[in-house]
Amino acid sequence: MFVIIAGGGKVGGQLARDLMAERHEVVVMESNPGKARALQDEIGDAVVPHDASEGRWLIDAGIGRADLLIAVTGDDEDNIVICQLGEALSEGHARTITRINNPRNSDTFRTLGIEAIVNATDLVMTMIERDVSVAPVVHLMRLRSAGLELVEMTVAEGSAADGSTPEELRLPEQGGRISVILRNGEAVLPSPTTRLQAGDSIVLVAQTEFEEALGRKFAAPTIV
Amino acid sequence: MYAIVIGCGRAGAEIASRMCEQGHSVVVIDRDRAAFHRLSDCFSGTTIVGHAIDEDCLVSAGIERADAVIATTYGDNSNLIAVQLARKRFKVKRAIARVKDSVRASTFEQLGFETIPSTTIVGDAFEQALGWEPHQPNGVLENGS
Repeated sequence: MFVIIAGGGKVGGQLARDLMAERHEVVVMESNPGKARALQDEIGDAVVPHDASEGRWLIDAGIGRADLLIAVTGDDEDNIVICQLGEALSEGHARTITRINNPRNSDTFRTLGIEAIVNATDLVMTMIERDVSVAPVVHLMRLRSAGLELVEMTVAEGSAADGSTPEELRLPEQGGRISVILRNGEAVLPSPTTRLQAGDSIVLVAQTEFEEALGRKFAAPTIV
Repeated sequence: MYAIVIGCGRAGAEIASRMCEQGHSVVVIDRDRAAFHRLSDCFSGTTIVGHAIDEDCLVSAGIERADAVIATTYGDNSNLIAVQLARKRFKVKRAIARVKDSVRASTFEQLGFETIPSTTIVGDAFEQALGWEPHQPNGVLENGS
């Protein structure tokens, strides 16, 4: 897919690298010349050294054919207007995602009809969900240096996880922690006693060496 | 009329002063106290130091009973957020944003928000001064062409 990232700071740069590694077409828009140049040295022509909220540059960058617009500048107002502008200029074709830097603004933005997605995990998840829906385990992020993986799994019917709580599954002892459950389109923050059910999507932080074993808890029982 | 003017740069100070001269009640908001020096001697309204999209600040400026919000800061995006808040959250009847970027101005105009496209207006004025034909929209918004 074709993704435009507004803002080439830490988050924008990392998203660009991840998405390019996944072979997506990426353009990063960064108005600060120094930041833009630094990113250009690394990822080359994919950097447009201009402000994404300036309509003509967003059009030049290809908003008309973009599948996804991610606004991650350091300024909340800019992010919101970039999303609104992108939606209008792409005639609703581009999906837009933003993050809120200042939590005080979240009410404000909800009033404006912005479904703000507030953290990087959600960001990456939403992007990947769109393209990958068949794999049982989707790698959301590699936290290699820490020996951790962020994975998404779906609770299969009849699996060990189906009807169990994280406590009963002894997840923490076995190198895994559920960070969020996605159930019927709602995100649920789990407690140790939240009961999982078949069809739940869970985002799990797992120690790399236990990932496979953890995966078996969520998979349907195999018939031998 | 009870009006809130956001931003006390040249344009904000000008419109705020003019409104006072015409007998309207005006509150001016700016982040920088020094900006209020731009207001003319005729200015009889109130000034508040605060941020354009801070709801507490807008409430203390009396936005809930305002007839108009006029957003004139140097930031197009702040102005556009301010008018959206005014219209959607506080149901202010008239909310007008100064927007320098012509594309952004026409886009938000189409989304139903009132804008003053300052760059386009200046361009038109120059054209007129030179006695040329009126400005033709370049059509970037028509069918995405």
